[in-house]
Order: sequence, then C-alpha cells, then structure tokens
Amino acid sequence: MTALLNDEALLSVEALLSVEALHVAYGRVEAVKGISMRVLPGQTVALLGANGAGKTTTLRTLSGLLRPTAGTIRFAGQSLERVPAHHIVRAGLAHCPEARRIFPRMTIEENLRLGAFIRGNEDLGPDLRQAYERFPILGERHDQMAGLLSGGEQQMLAIARALMCRPRLLMLDEPSMGLSPIMMQQILRTVAELKDAGTTILLVEQNAQAALALADYAYVLETGRIVVEGTGAELLADERVRVAYLGEG
Amino acid sequence: MTTSSSTGLTAPGRATRRRLGRGADPLVGKCLIALGSAAALGSTFLSWTWTTAFPGDLTVTGYPGGNQLITLFLSILTLLALGPALLPGGVPGTRWIAPRGSVRLLRSLSLANAASTGYVVVAIAWELGGVANYVAGTWIAGASVLLPVLGAWLLPEDDHEPAPARPTPRWAQIVVVFVVVMLGLLVTDFGVTTGFSEEFIGFCLGAGFAGRGLAASGLFDRFSALTAANRVATGWAVFAAAVSFVFLQSSDAYTSVADNILIFATVALGLNIVVGLAGLLDLGYVAFLGVGAYTAALVSGTAASRYAHVVLPFWAQALIGVAVSVLAGLLIGAPTLRLRGDYLAIVTLGFGEIFRITMNNLDGQSGPQVTNGAEGEYGIPDLRLFGYDFGRPHTVLGHTLGRFGNYYLLLVLVIALVIFIFARVNDSRIGRAWAAIREDETAAEAMGVHGYRFKLLAFGLGAGLAGLAGTIQGHLTSTVTPDQYTFSSSAPPNSAFLLAAVVLGGMGTISGPLLGASLLFLIPDKLQFFHNKQLLLFGIALIVMMRLRPEGLVPDKRRRLEFHERETAAEEAYEELVVDELDRSDGLDELEAEARA
Amino acid sequence: MSVTVLLQLVENGLVLGAMYGLIAVGYTMVYGTIQLINFAHGEIFMLGGFGALTVYAWIPGVAHLPLFAALPLMLLGGVVVAVAAAVGAERLAYRPLRTAPRLAPLITAIGLSLALQQVVSLWYRLPGGGNAKAPVAFPSFGGKAFDLGGVLVQRADLFTVIAAAVCMAGLAWFVARTRSGRAMQATAQDPDTARLMGIDPDRMIVVAFAVGAALAAVAALTQGLRYGQISFDMGFVAGLKAFTAAVLGGIGNVRGAMLGGIVLGLAEELSSGILAHFRDTAQYGQAWADVWAFVLLILVLLLRPQGLLGERVADRA
Repeated sequence: MTALLNDEALLSVEALLSVEALHVAYGRVEAVKGISMRVLPGQTVALLGANGAGKTTTLRTLSGLLRPTAGTIRFAGQSLERVPAHHIVRAGLAHCPEARRIFPRMTIEENLRLGAFIRGNEDLGPDLRQAYERFPILGERHDQMAGLLSGGEQQMLAIARALMCRPRLLMLDEPSMGLSPIMMQQILRTVAELKDAGTTILLVEQNAQAALALADYAYVLETGRIVVEGTGAELLADERVRVAYLGEG
Repeated sequence: MTTSSSTGLTAPGRATRRRLGRGADPLVGKCLIALGSAAALGSTFLSWTWTTAFPGDLTVTGYPGGNQLITLFLSILTLLALGPALLPGGVPGTRWIAPRGSVRLLRSLSLANAASTGYVVVAIAWELGGVANYVAGTWIAGASVLLPVLGAWLLPEDDHEPAPARPTPRWAQIVVVFVVVMLGLLVTDFGVTTGFSEEFIGFCLGAGFAGRGLAASGLFDRFSALTAANRVATGWAVFAAAVSFVFLQSSDAYTSVADNILIFATVALGLNIVVGLAGLLDLGYVAFLGVGAYTAALVSGTAASRYAHVVLPFWAQALIGVAVSVLAGLLIGAPTLRLRGDYLAIVTLGFGEIFRITMNNLDGQSGPQVTNGAEGEYGIPDLRLFGYDFGRPHTVLGHTLGRFGNYYLLLVLVIALVIFIFARVNDSRIGRAWAAIREDETAAEAMGVHGYRFKLLAFGLGAGLAGLAGTIQGHLTSTVTPDQYTFSSSAPPNSAFLLAAVVLGGMGTISGPLLGASLLFLIPDKLQFFHNKQLLLFGIALIVMMRLRPEGLVPDKRRRLEFHERETAAEEAYEELVVDELDRSDGLDELEAEARA
Repeated sequence: MSVTVLLQLVENGLVLGAMYGLIAVGYTMVYGTIQLINFAHGEIFMLGGFGALTVYAWIPGVAHLPLFAALPLMLLGGVVVAVAAAVGAERLAYRPLRTAPRLAPLITAIGLSLALQQVVSLWYRLPGGGNAKAPVAFPSFGGKAFDLGGVLVQRADLFTVIAAAVCMAGLAWFVARTRSGRAMQATAQDPDTARLMGIDPDRMIVVAFAVGAALAAVAALTQGLRYGQISFDMGFVAGLKAFTAAVLGGIGNVRGAMLGGIVLGLAEELSSGILAHFRDTAQYGQAWADVWAFVLLILVLLLRPQGLLGERVADRA
C-alpha cells in the first residue's frame, strides 16, 4: 500500500488532502505565498525547508489555528478554509504540534484521554492499551504528570495523543526537534512504523535526510513557496536539494 | 470641487446605491444649506415660545438667548464651512476651513445644528405640554435646521488628501494658536456656565457633532500640527486662556464647578502617569489624594485635628502632604511592583479600602483620636499664601475674585505644573523606559531597563502629585471625611471615576484626561434629572466605550497602534511568527526584510 | 484568653473562610482560563443572593415552607440568576474583547460591576413594595445554636460548611474526573493545543464562568442565612476579600482558592478577635478586621508571591 505509486496511479487516486494556492499572512507579512500540494491516502508526505520557510505556518493553517488569506484546502471531500480548529479534528485531521505542547500539569493518561476528546464518552481502553504497547514507557508512568517526562518521552506522548482520535491524516511538526540523537532515531523509527501500519502522514522535518528516506513524496519550501517537489528518492538524488538542504557539495 | 457626472452608465453594486439621490445638482444641496442656515440664524432673533416657563427665556424677540445662542453659532459656522464649497476652488480665504474637503464638515455641522436645535424644539413641546407652545419662530427654527442636513447629503463626498500647508511666518502661526485657544476658551466657558440641563444637552450635542466634523475636515490635524510646531507658545496660550476664564465670570457660581473640575483633572493626570505612561493599574488612587488632604488638614490648625495647635504655613503643609503621599506610595509599591501587574490592581484596591477604614477608625473609639473618624476634619481654614488670604475677595485688574476664584488661579498653577512634569517626563529617558516596560517588561529588562526602579518612580510620582492636589482640596472643601475617598461613589473624584476619566479621555495623553474629567464632572453636575442613575450610566458608558473606542476620545498616537488597528495585528502576528518559526536567528533578517517591503 | 474563646474564633473563621473560598473559586477559574480579573464577580455573588431571595419572596408558598425545604428552591433560583448573569456578561462584554489589550476587559468589568449594583439598587422590588436601596432582610434559621462544649455553632454556620464541602468535592470531581473538566484544565494550560484536541475554548470559558457563578450563588445564600440580610453593594467587599483569597491560595488553582479563603477567614477572625479580647488592644479589633486581612495579603505576596499552592508562572501581560 505504501509502495511508491507511479504517475498514472497518482492521478487516478482521490487525494485525501489537497491544497490549492494557499496564502497565509500575519497582518501585512505574508508567510505562505501560494502553496499547492496533495497527500494521497496511505502516503507519507514530507515538507522540508529552512526556518521561516512557512512549514509550521502551513500546518497551523491546515489544522485551523490560522486562517488562510486565499486558497483552498480540501480534506476528504470537505472544504476546511473556514472551519474552526476544534471542528477540523473531527474531520479526522490530527496535528501533533511543534515543540510537543503536551499538557504538563496533567497525567499521561489524562493527556491521552484529551487526545480522544472528540470521541465523547466511548470506552478508550483498547486505544490506551495500544498506546502503551507502542510506547511502554508511557504505560509504566501513566499516572505521572506529563511535565515530568523527558523531551523524547514527551514527544512520544504527543504522537500517542494525536493518534487517540484515530485520525485519517496525522500531521507531525518536527517530531525530532531538540532530541538527543538516540531519541531522534527512536522517534523516526516510530514514524516509520506508523507509516508501515498504513497511517497517512504529513511530516515536517528539519532532518531532511531522514525525512526523505521515509517520504513517498516531498515538497521543499523556501520563503513561503514550493521550490522543489518530487518523490523522496528523486529529491534525495537531486543535486540542488543535496547542496541546499542536505549540507553536501 | 469635483462633481460625479452622471454618464448614464450604471456601475454595479455600491456605486449605484451611492449615486441614488445624488443625481440632483450639488448646487441644490448648497442652496439648501445656505438657505436653511440663514433661516435658522434669523430664527434665533425671534422668540421660540410665548412662555418663560422654558429655561433660558426664549420669549424675547430681538436678540438670541439660552439655547438660541448655540443655534446661532452653529448656523454661522455652517455658513462659513460652505465657503470652500461655493465657488470652483472655494471662496478665496476660506479654503483653510476644510483641508480634507468640506462635505463631511458640512454634514457634521448641519447634523450638529439639527440635533441641538431639534432637541430644544422637541423639548419645548415635551416640557411645556404640546406644540401649542410653539410660536412662529419655533416652526421656522425647527424646519430650517433640517434643510442643511438634506442639502449636505445631496453633495457628493469629496474627502481627499490635504494639500500641504502653506508656509506661514512663525508670528502668524502663534497668532493663530492664540486665537484658536481663546475661541476654545469661549466654547468651554459656555459649556461650564450652562445654567440648566437643556442648554447643556444642546451644547453637548452641538459640540460633539461639530467636533467630529472638524476632525473629519482635517482642521484638527492642521491645528495639532501648528501646536506641535509651537509647543511653548501653545502652552502659554492655554495657560493664558485658563487664567482668563476666571475673569469671564461675573460670580463665583461656576468658578466652584471649575475648581472641582481642576482638582479632578489634576488627579486624573497624575493617575495617567501611573496607568497611561507606566502601564500600572492603580485601583485605589484616590487614597493618595486623601493622604494629601488629611495630612495638610491635620497641620492646618483645624479644631477637629488632634494637632490643632500646629498651624503650619501652606508651603509646609504642601511639602509634608506630598512627602507623606509619596511615602505611602512607596510603601504600597515597593512590595507589589516586583510582582505581576494584576497583583498591583488588587493591592491598590485593598489600600484604598485600608485608607478609608483607617481614617474612619482613628476616631478615639476604634483607635487613637487623630482624624475625628467619620465626621472628618471640618473647619479647615482657608489657604493663606504670601499674605494672600484665599478666603477673602480680592480685586485684580479691576475684576473681583471671590474665594473660588482665588483657588481657581492656584489650581491652574498646580495643573500647569503637573502638565509640565507629565510632558517633560514623558519625553525623557524615563518616559521611554516606561513605554518599554508597558509594552514588554521582560524585553525591557533585557535591554537594561531597570523595570522595578522605573515602576516605583512612576508610582511615587503619581502618589506625590495626587497628594499635592489633596493638600489644596482639603482647604477648598474645608472638610475632609473618609467617605470622600472611596472606590466608587456617585460623585467624582473617586478611584473608579478617575480611572474612567483617564481611559475615556485617552490614556497617555494630556488633553484626554482633561476632557474626560471635565465631561465626567459636568455631565452628572448639569444633568440633575438622572442624579440617581449616574453610576448606572457611568458603568454602561465604560462597557460601551471599551467595545467601541478603547483608545479613548483623544487617542495617543502610539496607543492607537496598540489598540484595534491593523498595524497591531501585523505586529502581534510578527511576534508570533518569530516565536513559531524563527526561534533561531537565521530566518529573522529575511523576515524583517519582508516586513519592511 | 480561654481555649473556648479561641475555638469559637476558629469556628467563625472557618465558616467565613468557607464562604470566601466559594466566591474565590470563580475568580480563580476565570483567571486561570483567560487571565482576566473578573471584577464583576462580586456582583454575580450579589445577584445570586437576590435570585434566592426572589424565589423566597415572590413565589407563592415558598416562604411558608420550612426553611430547609425552601432552601433547595432558593439555591436553584440564586444559581440560575448568577449563572445567567455571568454567562451573559462573558458573551456580551468580555468575549468581544478577547484580543484587546488587557486593560480593556478589566475596565469593562469595573463598568459591569457598577452597572449591576445600580440595576439592583434602582429596580429590585419586594412584594410589599420595598426596594433594595438599603439592606434587605433574608430568611434565617430559627432555633438555637449547637453548643459543642462552649463553642457555639449556628445552624447557618453548619449549612455553610456543609455546602462548601459538597461544592468543593463536586468541583474536584468535575475538574479531575469528567471530560469537560479535563477539557477546561487543558484550555487553561494551553488554549491552542486544546483546540487541536477538538475542544472549543469559548465553550470552556463559558463553563468556567458558569461554575464560578454557581458557587458564588451558594456563597451568597450562606451569607444571607448567616447575617439575615443581603444588600446591593455586598459584592464589593466580599469580592475584594475573595480575590485576596484567590491570590493567597495561588491564582488559577481551585484548591488553592478554598485554602486561601479559609486562611483569610481564620486570619481575619483570629487577628481581630484576639486583639478585641485584650483591653489594651481592644479598639483594634472588629473595626480593623479588613485592614488585617489586607496586611496579610501583602505579607503573603512579599514572602510567597505565587500564593500558597500556586506554581511560579511567568508574567503573561
């Protein structure tokens, strides 16, 4: 399912998320200047770029925290440009925000339960068990305050929390940021596992090498515009990308 | 002026709607304005009713009186404002009236006249019981003020960028400033000395709409440019005008109103240093006025004082009063100014209560006898300064100054001092430090601004100025009681009214609190008919004002940016962006370049 | 000074503190969610009292019921009025100012507080035609106080303590155990991320206002029962004390609010009671109680600025 799709297949599959000519501005400062992109079901798509390129702004706009000034966002057949953030989650779009943003003064289990907030009073037992299986450390410390976890553990919690709403698309914003190399490897492995399990992922990463290795398709942003796009393999091979983003050359 | 020619093409939407009813020749509109205003002007020389039962005596034929004066003035103003619109390019010598175009000015002025005169016409029927009380003059006045409104709306909008002001010699600028300030004095004098509610309401309606028109026509902007270029001359002009006010009064009746406004405004300006400049919310500010008043009263020789045998000269009383106030300010400020802003609000509120309770309790029963408790210090003798007895009438320049006149002159000096301090401090290093703290204390600290020290300075300075006003207030009212210094009561000054004067007037400005204090004092004073609903209306006014115009009547330029303007959104978003995406420095330059572009 | 007298002071302080705590919860919850000092909360408390009184005075038959049977009805009336006023204020006055500079909503709150007081003072009417310009009589428990070895416990005191305990237990359960309670905590800790979880922050803010108002109404009922009267301006001092309690306990912390209330109540009663007991200091007693309460506030702010149970938080101004 996650095998690379050839071009004809790409066109024939209905995109889960399609963004057309998206513009986002902070007051007079335009941060995203006409981005168009697609995420197909089951794909892992990476969004790369330097700081200030507009990656986080794009994700925050997709999840409704920011309002686009122009452009369209279609997700699973629904227009999202004017939908408030708390309704977008219900459509199946989960956003695991930059810098983790767990609720520090609540327990791990409470954090996870909040992740499933939109599911109302359903029994969350199976989902909690699944989360604890995926991240055993969370299970061991489930009644501790989340603020006491280490950075990597908090990132695990943030991912597990985002998965609790059983999203159709998981957006991860720099999951490896500020982590030790070992922890970074572990988180990236988790992302790979999620991908293998069939989760559709939109991944923003600084670590371009790792992201491209994971991604079926990738877009490279520069000052609010897409400058290069292609399959992960293509971009890994692309001379310009190697020079500009992979620190080679 | 340009007219939108009807080309026969129908533009869609808004343009069509705008042209509806505008097909009429603008000449018709101008004629209506001219005719209506002239007729209204003429009607003020007629009687408007046959009975003297309506306040202000409108029965006289031959010269205007009462509310008719307002109509007369507004009609003349409207005719003047018609000048720039009459000939192509305007009647020579009148173009200065409307740098941004005269149509909006004409609309506002005709509205002002219609509102003010229409109100009187309606009030005559309402208060006297029916239109049977109308005479020919009433009908003429009522009908003729409506014509200019109709006419002004027939004129096409002509708002445009003002042409650059012609260079004028400095002496001419100064003359203009003096003349305008004196005109302002006359208008203010009229408002303060209105003898009955109808006149005051008519005045407020007229002044409010006319003021809006003058702002829209660009005349205010032009005048502020003049004052900004001639600050010293403006200062002297305003001071001269303020002093001459007392020489316009034939009795002490309205001077006492002016005295109270001055005290209120002085304290409001002091509070504006604390709230407007340094951004510290003080909810118990009136207590410092009380500290000053009580301190001065205690050493003034009043019989009710525990220290009745101590009779200090006023300069010493003032010094001690200020010193004790500053001390109280530092005592309250020192522990709390290190903390978050919200705590200051609650501590100052508490301090206000503590002050009131303490003054109440130091009555010999609940505590030692110092302040005479709830009865207060009464019989405070009049001020005496350099042998000048403020309690006795004096003849100055052929004009007899009564007791309130004497105090008025002293209060003008004090408020001038406060304004001087306010302006100087605001323009200095201290003012910039306050601005930095107000915006972002953490960032200010990072830039090396010692936040705590500057906040304490603002707090102490504010307390001292209020204390100074208090030392005079005690003598003026001759009695100080604890209940004069509460958080809220139906009469100013109290902490809530003071804060409202600052906020409604315009935080961080000088004229804002002056205007705010005048309005907040005059409205309850003049409109006795809602005397028991003052606090209700006051509360509602605060809510509405925060919703519609949080920057106040006279917005500070910098603060206008802080409030609901688009620039603010950009700045905030810019910060957010910086936090979101640019916490490492490399992207910053890029974004800044973008922001500049 | 005998132990009995001291214990009596402690009893008075606990009851007074329980009432402060009930009001303080409203301040702390609203502050915790939107960092607003809801200056009008004292008036919400006052309206709760008048709501309860309205049920008692205006609904035929309620006044003839035994008081313990009428109490639930009065409580309902008070809660309905207080919650409606608080939610209305949030919707009409505060919400439009959500993005305004922080002085704006505070000034709105002051305006609201004055306006609400005046509305009651000007237009509240009793069946007999009496108005609320002066304090209005409130029903109170007849019967003797319980005597616990010399310490007198009034029936209203008992009701106050029980009501406060029930409310706090209910609140603790609500915040920690229910989905809405957790959502509210999440909104307070990180509003943006709460939205990403599907939580509507506006709704949670309304919940915070409503819960605070309901508890304030309970407090107003206890106040009326204890003193036998309520007045249109009782919200000012009560609100001031309750806010002090909230700051004492650590603003934003619900349990801290109750603790702060009790500490404040005890401090107030003990300081003024002990001073009043001795002849040399007698005059510094009851009349100075409020002063001692504020002195305590300033001391606590000096020694422990984050409050008794508060965590150190950065200035978000």
